[in-house]
Amino acid sequence: MSWTLCVDFGTAFSKAAAAPRDAWARFDPARVRPLMLNHQGEGSAFLLDSAVFVDDTRILFGRAALARAGADPASKRAALRSFKTLLSVGDLERALSSGVPASIDPHRMFSMRDLILLYLSYLTACIARAVAADGELSKGDLALRYAAPAWRSSEGVGAHANITRLFGEAAALRLQFGADVLAPEGVDIQRARAALDATRGAGAPDMGLIFEATAAAAYSSIGLENAASHLIVVDMGAGTTDIAALAASGGSLAEIAEARVTLKQAGDFIDGIIANIALESHGKLKTAAQQAEFWRVMMADMRGFKETLFATGRAGFRFDKRVVKVALKDVERDKDFRLFAGALTSAYERGIAALRERALADGRREVHAIAVGGGAAAPFIQALVRRQPKSAGKVKVIARPATPAWAHAPAFNGNLAPVFPQLAIAIGGALAPESMIAARGGVSQA
Amino acid sequence: MSAPKKPKGKRAAPKGAAQAVSLSSALGEAAWAEADRALAQAMSEFEEVEAAATHVRRAEALMLLRQALARAARVRGFSRLGGEPGAVEPYDQTRHDLVSAPAIAPAEVTIVSQGVARGAEVLVKARVKAVRKRPAS
Repeated sequence: MSWTLCVDFGTAFSKAAAAPRDAWARFDPARVRPLMLNHQGEGSAFLLDSAVFVDDTRILFGRAALARAGADPASKRAALRSFKTLLSVGDLERALSSGVPASIDPHRMFSMRDLILLYLSYLTACIARAVAADGELSKGDLALRYAAPAWRSSEGVGAHANITRLFGEAAALRLQFGADVLAPEGVDIQRARAALDATRGAGAPDMGLIFEATAAAAYSSIGLENAASHLIVVDMGAGTTDIAALAASGGSLAEIAEARVTLKQAGDFIDGIIANIALESHGKLKTAAQQAEFWRVMMADMRGFKETLFATGRAGFRFDKRVVKVALKDVERDKDFRLFAGALTSAYERGIAALRERALADGRREVHAIAVGGGAAAPFIQALVRRQPKSAGKVKVIARPATPAWAHAPAFNGNLAPVFPQLAIAIGGALAPESMIAARGGVSQA
Repeated sequence: MSAPKKPKGKRAAPKGAAQAVSLSSALGEAAWAEADRALAQAMSEFEEVEAAATHVRRAEALMLLRQALARAARVRGFSRLGGEPGAVEPYDQTRHDLVSAPAIAPAEVTIVSQGVARGAEVLVKARVKAVRKRPAS
Protein backbone atom coordinates (compact mmCIF):
# COMPACT_ATOMS: atom_id res chain seq x y z
CA MET A 1 0.00 0.00 0.00
CA SER A 2 1.17 3.56 -0.72
CA TRP A 3 1.33 6.12 2.09
CA THR A 4 2.16 9.80 2.46
CA LEU A 5 4.13 10.77 5.55
CA CYS A 6 4.28 14.41 6.58
CA VAL A 7 6.70 15.94 9.09
CA ASP A 8 5.80 19.13 10.94
CA PHE A 9 8.72 20.61 12.87
CA GLY A 10 7.22 23.16 15.18
CA THR A 11 9.12 25.56 17.41
CA ALA A 12 8.34 23.53 20.51
CA PHE A 13 7.55 20.05 19.14
CA SER A 14 8.05 18.04 15.97
CA LYS A 15 5.21 15.81 14.82
CA ALA A 16 4.65 13.34 12.00
CA ALA A 17 1.62 11.57 10.57
CA ALA A 18 0.87 9.20 7.71
CA ALA A 19 -2.21 8.62 5.58
CA PRO A 20 -2.94 6.41 2.56
CA ARG A 21 -1.87 8.11 -0.68
CA ASP A 22 -5.47 8.00 -1.96
CA ALA A 23 -6.96 9.41 1.27
CA TRP A 24 -8.31 12.51 -0.46
CA ALA A 25 -10.41 10.47 -2.88
CA ARG A 26 -11.38 7.67 -0.47
CA PHE A 27 -11.26 9.09 3.02
CA ASP A 28 -11.38 6.71 5.95
CA PRO A 29 -10.56 8.45 9.27
CA ALA A 30 -9.52 5.12 10.81
CA ARG A 31 -6.51 4.96 8.47
CA VAL A 32 -4.98 8.26 9.63
CA ARG A 33 -1.82 7.51 11.59
CA PRO A 34 -0.13 10.04 13.88
CA LEU A 35 3.33 8.62 14.63
CA MET A 36 4.67 7.99 18.12
CA LEU A 37 8.00 9.79 17.95
CA ASN A 38 8.73 10.38 21.63
CA HIS A 39 9.98 7.39 23.58
CA GLN A 40 11.79 9.37 26.26
CA GLY A 41 9.11 8.82 28.90
CA GLU A 42 7.72 12.21 29.87
CA GLY A 43 5.21 14.06 27.74
CA SER A 44 3.00 12.89 24.91
CA ALA A 45 4.30 10.01 22.80
CA PHE A 46 3.24 11.97 19.68
CA LEU A 47 5.16 15.19 20.45
CA LEU A 48 8.95 15.19 20.05
CA ASP A 49 10.65 18.11 21.79
CA SER A 50 12.51 20.20 19.18
CA ALA A 51 15.75 20.61 21.14
CA VAL A 52 19.48 19.92 20.96
CA PHE A 53 21.88 20.42 23.88
CA VAL A 54 25.65 20.50 23.41
CA ASP A 55 27.01 19.09 26.67
CA ASP A 56 30.65 18.77 27.71
CA THR A 57 31.25 15.50 25.86
CA ARG A 58 27.85 14.50 24.40
CA ILE A 59 25.09 15.91 22.22
CA LEU A 60 21.63 15.35 23.68
CA PHE A 61 18.30 15.47 21.85
CA GLY A 62 14.63 16.00 22.60
CA ARG A 63 13.39 15.70 26.17
CA ALA A 64 16.87 14.69 27.41
CA ALA A 65 18.28 17.95 25.96
CA LEU A 66 15.65 20.03 27.76
CA ALA A 67 16.14 18.16 31.03
CA ARG A 68 19.88 18.76 30.86
CA ALA A 69 19.41 22.44 29.99
CA GLY A 70 17.04 22.90 32.94
CA ALA A 71 19.11 20.89 35.42
CA ASP A 72 21.16 23.90 36.52
CA PRO A 73 19.06 27.09 36.63
CA ALA A 74 22.14 29.19 37.42
CA SER A 75 23.95 28.03 34.28
CA LYS A 76 23.90 30.20 31.16
CA ARG A 77 24.03 27.13 28.90
CA ALA A 78 20.93 26.68 26.76
CA ALA A 79 19.44 24.16 24.33
CA LEU A 80 18.96 25.15 20.68
CA ARG A 81 15.20 25.20 20.00
CA SER A 82 14.32 27.69 17.29
CA PHE A 83 14.69 25.41 14.23
CA LYS A 84 11.38 26.43 12.78
CA THR A 85 12.06 30.15 13.02
CA LEU A 86 15.42 29.56 11.39
CA LEU A 87 14.08 27.33 8.63
CA SER A 88 11.40 29.92 7.85
CA VAL A 89 13.70 32.87 7.16
CA GLY A 90 13.96 34.20 3.62
CA ASP A 91 17.74 33.79 3.27
CA LEU A 92 18.05 30.27 4.61
CA GLU A 93 21.58 29.62 3.32
CA ARG A 94 22.90 32.62 5.21
CA ALA A 95 21.00 31.69 8.38
CA LEU A 96 22.38 28.14 8.25
CA SER A 97 25.97 29.29 7.97
CA SER A 98 25.64 31.63 10.95
CA GLY A 99 27.54 30.91 14.14
CA VAL A 100 26.03 29.56 17.32
CA PRO A 101 26.18 31.51 20.62
CA ALA A 102 28.63 30.23 23.23
CA SER A 103 25.66 29.59 25.52
CA ILE A 104 24.59 26.85 23.07
CA ASP A 105 27.97 25.59 21.85
CA PRO A 106 30.76 26.54 24.30
CA HIS A 107 33.25 24.36 22.35
CA ARG A 108 32.76 26.40 19.14
CA MET A 109 32.66 23.14 17.18
CA PHE A 110 29.33 23.47 15.36
CA SER A 111 27.53 25.85 13.03
CA MET A 112 23.77 26.38 13.08
CA ARG A 113 23.56 24.06 10.08
CA ASP A 114 25.45 21.32 11.96
CA LEU A 115 23.12 21.45 14.94
CA ILE A 116 20.02 21.44 12.75
CA LEU A 117 21.42 18.44 10.86
CA LEU A 118 22.07 16.62 14.11
CA TYR A 119 18.52 17.31 15.27
CA LEU A 120 17.08 16.20 11.93
CA SER A 121 19.08 12.96 12.15
CA TYR A 122 17.46 12.36 15.55
CA LEU A 123 14.00 13.27 14.20
CA THR A 124 14.36 10.98 11.16
CA ALA A 125 15.57 8.16 13.44
CA CYS A 126 12.46 8.63 15.61
CA ILE A 127 10.28 8.56 12.48
CA ALA A 128 12.04 5.41 11.19
CA ARG A 129 11.47 3.69 14.55
CA ALA A 130 7.77 4.61 14.53
CA VAL A 131 7.35 3.39 10.94
CA ALA A 132 9.15 0.11 11.73
CA ALA A 133 6.81 -0.48 14.67
CA ASP A 134 3.72 -0.16 12.44
CA GLY A 135 2.87 -3.38 10.64
CA GLU A 136 1.32 -1.67 7.61
CA LEU A 137 3.54 1.40 7.26
CA SER A 138 6.71 -0.66 7.49
CA LYS A 139 5.64 -2.74 4.48
CA GLY A 140 4.23 0.19 2.51
CA ASP A 141 5.67 2.57 -0.02
CA LEU A 142 6.21 5.96 1.70
CA ALA A 143 6.24 9.37 0.02
CA LEU A 144 7.72 12.10 2.22
CA ARG A 145 6.56 15.66 2.80
CA TYR A 146 7.26 18.38 5.29
CA ALA A 147 5.09 21.31 6.32
CA ALA A 148 6.39 24.87 6.48
CA PRO A 149 4.97 28.37 6.60
CA ALA A 150 4.75 29.87 3.10
CA TRP A 151 7.82 31.70 1.94
CA ARG A 152 7.03 35.14 0.68
CA SER A 153 10.12 35.78 -1.36
CA SER A 154 11.28 34.30 -4.66
CA GLU A 155 13.83 32.36 -2.59
CA GLY A 156 11.08 29.93 -1.60
CA VAL A 157 12.02 27.25 -4.10
CA GLY A 158 15.71 27.68 -3.21
CA ALA A 159 14.81 27.27 0.46
CA HIS A 160 12.93 24.06 -0.37
CA ALA A 161 15.99 22.71 -2.18
CA ASN A 162 18.12 23.62 0.85
CA ILE A 163 15.78 21.85 3.24
CA THR A 164 15.62 18.67 1.17
CA ARG A 165 19.44 18.68 1.12
CA LEU A 166 19.39 18.96 4.92
CA PHE A 167 17.05 15.97 5.09
CA GLY A 168 19.38 14.04 2.77
CA GLU A 169 22.43 14.71 4.93
CA ALA A 170 20.41 14.00 8.09
CA ALA A 171 19.41 10.60 6.68
CA ALA A 172 23.08 9.80 6.00
CA LEU A 173 23.97 10.94 9.53
CA ARG A 174 21.29 8.68 10.95
CA LEU A 175 22.84 5.71 9.20
CA GLN A 176 26.23 6.65 10.67
CA PHE A 177 24.86 6.86 14.20
CA GLY A 178 22.55 3.84 14.02
CA ALA A 179 20.34 3.37 17.09
CA ASP A 180 22.82 5.36 19.25
CA VAL A 181 21.18 8.65 18.24
CA LEU A 182 17.99 7.49 20.00
CA ALA A 183 19.71 6.79 23.32
CA PRO A 184 18.85 9.29 26.11
CA GLU A 185 22.59 9.89 26.58
CA GLY A 186 22.83 11.06 22.95
CA VAL A 187 26.01 10.81 20.87
CA ASP A 188 29.65 11.55 21.57
CA ILE A 189 30.60 15.07 20.51
CA GLN A 190 33.73 14.07 18.57
CA ARG A 191 31.81 11.32 16.80
CA ALA A 192 29.12 13.84 15.87
CA ARG A 193 31.72 16.18 14.38
CA ALA A 194 33.35 13.38 12.38
CA ALA A 195 29.98 12.10 11.12
CA LEU A 196 28.96 15.60 10.00
CA ASP A 197 32.19 15.95 8.01
CA ALA A 198 31.79 12.48 6.49
CA THR A 199 28.19 12.97 5.31
CA ARG A 200 28.43 16.50 3.93
CA GLY A 201 26.90 16.65 0.43
CA ALA A 202 24.82 13.45 0.72
CA GLY A 203 22.03 13.39 -1.87
CA ALA A 204 18.67 15.04 -1.28
CA PRO A 205 15.60 12.80 -1.06
CA ASP A 206 12.47 13.40 -3.14
CA MET A 207 10.34 15.34 -0.67
CA GLY A 208 7.25 17.43 -1.08
CA LEU A 209 6.65 20.77 0.61
CA ILE A 210 3.18 21.63 1.82
CA PHE A 211 2.37 25.01 3.27
CA GLU A 212 0.89 24.87 6.75
CA ALA A 213 -2.22 26.81 5.74
CA THR A 214 -2.86 24.31 2.93
CA ALA A 215 -2.45 21.43 5.38
CA ALA A 216 -5.04 23.09 7.63
CA ALA A 217 -7.39 23.46 4.66
CA ALA A 218 -6.89 19.78 3.83
CA TYR A 219 -7.80 18.34 7.22
CA SER A 220 -10.70 20.75 7.72
CA SER A 221 -12.18 20.10 4.26
CA ILE A 222 -11.53 16.40 3.67
CA GLY A 223 -14.62 14.27 3.39
CA LEU A 224 -16.93 17.31 3.35
CA GLU A 225 -19.34 18.01 0.53
CA ASN A 226 -19.26 21.71 1.34
CA ALA A 227 -15.46 21.98 1.43
CA ALA A 228 -14.37 25.59 1.72
CA SER A 229 -13.41 27.26 -1.56
CA HIS A 230 -12.12 30.36 0.25
CA LEU A 231 -10.44 29.96 3.62
CA ILE A 232 -8.47 32.10 6.06
CA VAL A 233 -6.16 30.28 8.49
CA VAL A 234 -4.87 31.73 11.78
CA ASP A 235 -1.99 29.54 12.93
CA MET A 236 -0.62 30.40 16.37
CA GLY A 237 2.34 28.21 17.19
CA ALA A 238 5.06 28.71 19.79
CA GLY A 239 7.29 31.05 17.77
CA THR A 240 5.08 32.80 15.22
CA THR A 241 1.46 33.59 14.48
CA ASP A 242 0.74 33.21 10.76
CA ILE A 243 -2.28 34.40 8.85
CA ALA A 244 -2.81 32.97 5.38
CA ALA A 245 -5.74 33.00 2.96
CA LEU A 246 -6.41 30.34 0.34
CA ALA A 247 -8.75 30.24 -2.65
CA ALA A 248 -9.72 27.25 -4.79
CA SER A 249 -8.24 27.56 -8.24
CA GLY A 250 -8.23 24.93 -10.98
CA GLY A 251 -8.73 21.96 -8.66
CA SER A 252 -6.16 23.07 -6.08
CA LEU A 253 -5.86 25.72 -3.39
CA ALA A 254 -3.71 28.76 -4.11
CA GLU A 255 -2.51 31.20 -1.52
CA ILE A 256 -3.51 34.86 -1.78
CA ALA A 257 -0.10 36.45 -1.32
CA GLU A 258 -1.31 39.87 -0.14
CA ALA A 259 -3.18 38.29 2.80
CA ARG A 260 -0.14 36.63 4.35
CA VAL A 261 1.20 38.08 7.60
CA THR A 262 3.65 36.54 10.05
CA LEU A 263 3.76 38.03 13.53
CA LYS A 264 6.79 37.33 15.69
CA GLN A 265 4.60 37.08 18.78
CA ALA A 266 2.94 33.75 19.53
CA GLY A 267 2.74 31.12 22.26
CA ASP A 268 6.19 31.77 23.74
CA PHE A 269 5.39 35.48 23.92
CA ILE A 270 2.11 34.78 25.75
CA ASP A 271 3.99 32.42 28.10
CA GLY A 272 6.35 35.25 29.02
CA ILE A 273 3.43 37.59 29.79
CA ILE A 274 1.72 34.95 31.95
CA ALA A 275 4.94 34.13 33.83
CA ASN A 276 5.59 37.82 34.54
CA ILE A 277 2.04 38.30 35.85
CA ALA A 278 2.46 35.22 38.04
CA LEU A 279 5.81 36.48 39.33
CA GLU A 280 4.25 39.80 40.23
CA SER A 281 1.32 38.02 41.84
CA HIS A 282 3.70 36.03 44.07
CA GLY A 283 5.32 39.27 45.15
CA LYS A 284 7.92 37.78 47.52
CA LEU A 285 10.64 36.69 45.13
CA LYS A 286 13.26 39.42 45.16
CA THR A 287 16.56 37.81 44.18
CA ALA A 288 17.48 36.87 40.61
CA ALA A 289 18.05 33.25 41.71
CA GLN A 290 14.56 33.02 43.26
CA GLN A 291 12.98 34.52 40.17
CA ALA A 292 14.95 32.20 37.87
CA GLU A 293 13.77 29.17 39.85
CA PHE A 294 10.19 30.43 39.76
CA TRP A 295 10.45 30.97 36.00
CA ARG A 296 11.89 27.47 35.49
CA VAL A 297 9.16 25.74 37.53
CA MET A 298 6.41 27.70 35.83
CA MET A 299 7.72 27.18 32.30
CA ALA A 300 8.04 23.42 32.91
CA ASP A 301 4.25 23.19 33.27
CA MET A 302 3.23 26.18 31.16
CA ARG A 303 1.32 24.18 28.56
CA GLY A 304 -1.07 22.70 31.15
CA PHE A 305 -1.30 26.00 33.02
CA LYS A 306 -2.18 27.87 29.85
CA GLU A 307 -4.78 25.27 28.80
CA THR A 308 -6.52 25.71 32.17
CA LEU A 309 -6.30 29.49 31.94
CA PHE A 310 -7.82 29.47 28.46
CA ALA A 311 -10.51 26.93 29.34
CA THR A 312 -11.67 28.38 32.66
CA GLY A 313 -10.44 31.97 32.74
CA ARG A 314 -8.09 31.43 35.68
CA ALA A 315 -5.35 29.08 36.82
CA GLY A 316 -3.03 28.63 39.78
CA PHE A 317 -0.02 26.68 41.00
CA ARG A 318 1.92 26.16 44.19
CA PHE A 319 5.35 27.68 44.62
CA ASP A 320 7.29 28.24 47.80
CA LYS A 321 4.29 27.46 50.06
CA ARG A 322 2.11 30.00 48.26
CA VAL A 323 -0.60 29.56 45.67
CA VAL A 324 0.04 31.85 42.71
CA LYS A 325 -3.07 32.75 40.71
CA VAL A 326 -3.41 34.27 37.25
CA ALA A 327 -6.68 35.42 35.67
CA LEU A 328 -7.19 35.65 31.93
CA LYS A 329 -8.39 39.23 32.33
CA ASP A 330 -4.96 40.11 33.81
CA VAL A 331 -3.35 38.80 30.62
CA GLU A 332 -5.82 40.71 28.46
CA ARG A 333 -5.04 43.92 30.34
CA ASP A 334 -1.29 43.56 29.81
CA LYS A 335 0.13 46.33 27.62
CA ASP A 336 2.29 44.04 25.47
CA PHE A 337 -0.60 41.62 25.01
CA ARG A 338 -2.90 44.43 23.90
CA LEU A 339 -0.35 45.58 21.33
CA PHE A 340 -0.12 42.02 20.02
CA ALA A 341 -3.90 41.58 19.99
CA GLY A 342 -4.25 44.85 18.06
CA ALA A 343 -1.64 43.82 15.48
CA LEU A 344 -3.30 40.41 15.13
CA THR A 345 -6.74 41.93 14.60
CA SER A 346 -5.40 44.37 11.97
CA ALA A 347 -3.59 41.56 10.14
CA TYR A 348 -6.72 39.40 10.23
CA GLU A 349 -8.90 42.25 8.91
CA ARG A 350 -6.46 42.76 6.02
CA GLY A 351 -6.47 39.04 5.28
CA ILE A 352 -10.27 38.95 5.31
CA ALA A 353 -10.41 41.98 2.99
CA ALA A 354 -8.15 40.24 0.46
CA LEU A 355 -10.13 37.01 0.77
CA ARG A 356 -13.44 38.89 0.37
CA GLU A 357 -12.25 40.48 -2.88
CA ARG A 358 -11.25 37.08 -4.28
CA ALA A 359 -14.48 35.42 -3.10
CA LEU A 360 -16.62 38.12 -4.72
CA ALA A 361 -14.60 37.88 -7.94
CA ASP A 362 -15.25 34.11 -7.90
CA GLY A 363 -18.98 34.67 -7.32
CA ARG A 364 -18.93 33.44 -3.71
CA ARG A 365 -20.75 35.03 -0.80
CA GLU A 366 -19.13 33.13 2.06
CA VAL A 367 -15.62 32.36 3.28
CA HIS A 368 -14.41 30.05 6.04
CA ALA A 369 -12.08 30.80 8.96
CA ILE A 370 -10.10 28.32 11.01
CA ALA A 371 -7.64 28.56 13.90
CA VAL A 372 -4.87 25.97 14.10
CA GLY A 373 -1.72 25.31 16.12
CA GLY A 374 -1.09 25.15 19.86
CA GLY A 375 -2.84 28.51 20.36
CA ALA A 376 -6.03 27.54 18.51
CA ALA A 377 -7.99 27.17 21.75
CA ALA A 378 -7.00 30.58 23.12
CA PRO A 379 -10.19 32.59 23.74
CA PHE A 380 -8.92 35.65 21.85
CA ILE A 381 -8.05 33.50 18.81
CA GLN A 382 -11.45 31.78 18.88
CA ALA A 383 -13.17 35.16 19.28
CA LEU A 384 -11.23 36.43 16.27
CA VAL A 385 -12.32 33.65 13.90
CA ARG A 386 -15.90 33.51 15.19
CA ARG A 387 -16.81 37.15 14.72
CA GLN A 388 -17.95 38.82 11.55
CA PRO A 389 -15.11 41.25 10.76
CA LYS A 390 -15.90 44.70 9.38
CA SER A 391 -13.66 44.12 6.37
CA ALA A 392 -15.79 41.12 5.32
CA GLY A 393 -18.56 43.46 4.17
CA LYS A 394 -21.49 41.42 2.92
CA VAL A 395 -19.44 38.23 2.66
CA LYS A 396 -20.32 35.81 5.46
CA VAL A 397 -17.42 34.43 7.54
CA ILE A 398 -18.08 30.90 8.82
CA ALA A 399 -15.82 29.61 11.61
CA ARG A 400 -14.71 26.00 11.23
CA PRO A 401 -13.98 23.98 14.39
CA ALA A 402 -10.29 23.56 15.29
CA THR A 403 -10.94 19.83 15.56
CA PRO A 404 -12.89 18.45 12.58
CA ALA A 405 -15.88 16.15 13.11
CA TRP A 406 -14.00 13.16 11.65
CA ALA A 407 -11.45 13.29 14.50
CA HIS A 408 -14.31 12.12 16.74
CA ALA A 409 -14.82 8.97 14.62
CA PRO A 410 -15.59 5.82 16.70
CA ALA A 411 -12.31 4.25 15.45
CA PHE A 412 -10.35 6.63 17.70
CA ASN A 413 -12.44 5.86 20.76
CA GLY A 414 -12.38 9.53 21.79
CA ASN A 415 -8.56 9.54 21.94
CA LEU A 416 -7.62 11.62 18.88
CA ALA A 417 -9.72 14.74 19.48
CA PRO A 418 -7.91 15.92 22.65
CA VAL A 419 -4.52 15.91 20.88
CA PHE A 420 -5.73 16.83 17.40
CA PRO A 421 -4.89 20.58 17.42
CA GLN A 422 -1.23 19.81 18.03
CA LEU A 423 -1.03 17.08 15.39
CA ALA A 424 -3.29 18.86 12.91
CA ILE A 425 -0.68 20.19 10.47
CA ALA A 426 1.17 16.87 10.18
CA ILE A 427 -2.16 15.06 9.65
CA GLY A 428 -3.42 17.63 7.12
CA GLY A 429 -0.09 17.51 5.29
CA ALA A 430 -0.39 13.73 4.96
CA LEU A 431 -4.03 13.86 3.83
CA ALA A 432 -3.64 16.59 1.19
CA PRO A 433 -3.65 15.44 -2.44
CA GLU A 434 -0.55 15.94 -4.57
CA SER A 435 -2.24 18.87 -6.30
CA MET A 436 -2.08 20.86 -3.05
CA ILE A 437 1.66 20.66 -2.50
CA ALA A 438 3.80 23.73 -3.11
CA ALA A 439 7.01 22.07 -4.28
CA ARG A 440 8.57 18.66 -4.80
CA GLY A 441 12.24 17.79 -5.17
CA GLY A 442 13.22 21.47 -5.28
CA VAL A 443 10.74 22.27 -8.04
CA SER A 444 7.84 24.64 -7.42
CA GLN A 445 4.42 23.21 -8.27
CA ALA A 446 2.87 26.67 -8.38
CA MET B 1 3.01 -28.71 13.94
CA SER B 2 -0.16 -27.80 12.08
CA ALA B 3 -1.30 -24.23 11.65
CA PRO B 4 -4.03 -23.12 14.09
CA LYS B 5 -7.52 -23.36 12.61
CA LYS B 6 -9.61 -20.27 12.10
CA PRO B 7 -12.46 -20.10 14.62
CA LYS B 8 -15.74 -21.14 13.02
CA GLY B 9 -18.61 -18.70 12.77
CA LYS B 10 -16.47 -15.63 13.46
CA ARG B 11 -14.92 -13.38 10.90
CA ALA B 12 -11.44 -12.12 11.51
CA ALA B 13 -11.37 -8.35 12.10
CA PRO B 14 -10.25 -6.44 9.01
CA LYS B 15 -6.61 -5.40 9.06
CA GLY B 16 -7.45 -1.71 9.10
CA ALA B 17 -9.64 -2.20 12.15
CA ALA B 18 -6.80 -3.85 14.06
CA GLN B 19 -4.48 -0.97 13.21
CA ALA B 20 -7.10 1.54 14.24
CA VAL B 21 -7.50 -0.22 17.59
CA SER B 22 -3.76 -0.15 18.25
CA LEU B 23 -3.52 3.54 17.27
CA SER B 24 -6.52 4.31 19.44
CA SER B 25 -4.82 2.50 22.34
CA ALA B 26 -1.58 4.41 21.75
CA LEU B 27 -3.43 7.73 21.65
CA GLY B 28 -5.30 6.68 24.77
CA GLU B 29 -2.08 5.74 26.53
CA ALA B 30 -0.55 9.11 25.68
CA ALA B 31 -3.62 10.85 27.07
CA TRP B 32 -3.54 8.68 30.19
CA ALA B 33 0.12 9.57 30.83
CA GLU B 34 -0.90 13.22 31.12
CA ALA B 35 -4.12 12.44 32.94
CA ASP B 36 -2.23 10.32 35.50
CA ARG B 37 -0.12 13.29 36.50
CA ALA B 38 -3.18 15.51 36.80
CA LEU B 39 -4.98 12.89 38.91
CA ALA B 40 -1.94 12.53 41.17
CA GLN B 41 -1.98 16.32 41.55
CA ALA B 42 -5.68 16.16 42.40
CA MET B 43 -5.04 13.56 45.13
CA SER B 44 -2.33 15.73 46.60
CA GLU B 45 -4.61 18.78 46.59
CA PHE B 46 -7.40 16.75 48.20
CA GLU B 47 -5.07 16.18 51.16
CA GLU B 48 -4.46 19.92 51.26
CA VAL B 49 -8.22 20.57 51.32
CA GLU B 50 -8.68 18.22 54.26
CA ALA B 51 -5.70 19.62 56.16
CA ALA B 52 -6.44 23.29 55.47
CA ALA B 53 -6.47 25.31 58.69
CA THR B 54 -8.14 28.41 57.24
CA HIS B 55 -10.92 29.19 54.78
CA VAL B 56 -8.42 30.86 52.47
CA ARG B 57 -6.12 27.81 52.36
CA ARG B 58 -9.13 25.56 51.79
CA ALA B 59 -10.45 27.71 48.97
CA GLU B 60 -7.02 27.75 47.30
CA ALA B 61 -6.64 23.98 47.60
CA LEU B 62 -10.17 23.49 46.23
CA MET B 63 -9.33 25.69 43.26
CA LEU B 64 -6.21 23.61 42.52
CA LEU B 65 -8.14 20.36 43.04
CA ARG B 66 -10.81 21.48 40.57
CA GLN B 67 -8.10 22.59 38.14
CA ALA B 68 -6.28 19.23 38.32
CA LEU B 69 -9.51 17.26 37.79
CA ALA B 70 -10.51 19.50 34.88
CA ARG B 71 -7.11 18.95 33.32
CA ALA B 72 -7.36 15.17 33.63
CA ALA B 73 -10.82 15.34 32.07
CA ARG B 74 -9.62 17.60 29.26
CA VAL B 75 -6.72 15.40 28.19
CA ARG B 76 -9.05 12.38 28.27
CA GLY B 77 -11.43 14.21 25.95
CA PHE B 78 -14.31 14.62 28.40
CA SER B 79 -16.94 17.22 27.71
CA ARG B 80 -19.88 18.58 29.70
CA LEU B 81 -23.25 17.12 28.88
CA GLY B 82 -26.38 19.22 29.08
CA GLY B 83 -26.79 22.94 29.55
CA GLU B 84 -25.76 25.01 32.55
CA PRO B 85 -27.62 24.23 35.81
CA GLY B 86 -31.05 25.83 35.59
CA ALA B 87 -31.28 25.50 31.81
CA VAL B 88 -34.41 23.86 30.40
CA GLU B 89 -34.14 21.34 27.56
CA PRO B 90 -36.22 18.52 26.01
CA TYR B 91 -36.03 15.29 28.01
CA ASP B 92 -33.78 12.58 26.56
CA GLN B 93 -33.49 9.41 28.64
CA THR B 94 -30.09 8.59 27.13
CA ARG B 95 -28.62 11.87 28.41
CA HIS B 96 -30.74 12.75 31.45
CA ASP B 97 -31.13 11.14 34.86
CA LEU B 98 -34.29 12.27 36.64
CA VAL B 99 -33.79 13.16 40.32
CA SER B 100 -37.30 11.87 41.07
CA ALA B 101 -39.03 9.82 38.44
CA PRO B 102 -42.57 10.95 37.60
CA ALA B 103 -45.18 8.44 36.42
CA ILE B 104 -45.02 9.83 32.88
CA ALA B 105 -41.82 10.86 31.16
CA PRO B 106 -41.64 14.67 31.10
CA ALA B 107 -41.44 16.64 27.88
CA GLU B 108 -38.93 19.08 29.33
CA VAL B 109 -36.43 19.01 32.17
CA THR B 110 -34.37 21.51 34.16
CA ILE B 111 -30.65 20.74 34.51
CA VAL B 112 -29.65 20.23 38.16
CA SER B 113 -26.03 19.26 37.42
CA GLN B 114 -24.28 18.64 34.13
CA GLY B 115 -23.27 15.17 32.98
CA VAL B 116 -20.04 14.06 31.34
CA ALA B 117 -19.51 12.63 27.86
CA ARG B 118 -16.52 11.40 25.92
CA GLY B 119 -17.10 11.70 22.21
CA ALA B 120 -20.48 10.08 21.59
CA GLU B 121 -20.31 8.03 24.79
CA VAL B 122 -22.29 9.26 27.80
CA LEU B 123 -20.22 8.56 30.92
CA VAL B 124 -22.45 10.27 33.47
CA LYS B 125 -25.94 11.48 32.63
CA ALA B 126 -26.94 15.03 33.52
CA ARG B 127 -29.08 15.11 36.69
CA VAL B 128 -32.38 16.77 35.91
CA LYS B 129 -35.80 17.43 37.32
CA ALA B 130 -39.03 17.42 35.39
CA VAL B 131 -40.54 20.72 34.33
CA ARG B 132 -44.10 20.73 35.58
CA LYS B 133 -46.62 21.99 33.11
CA ARG B 134 -48.69 24.82 34.42
CA PRO B 135 -52.37 23.96 34.45
CA ALA B 136 -54.22 25.72 31.68
CA SER B 137 -55.97 28.81 33.08
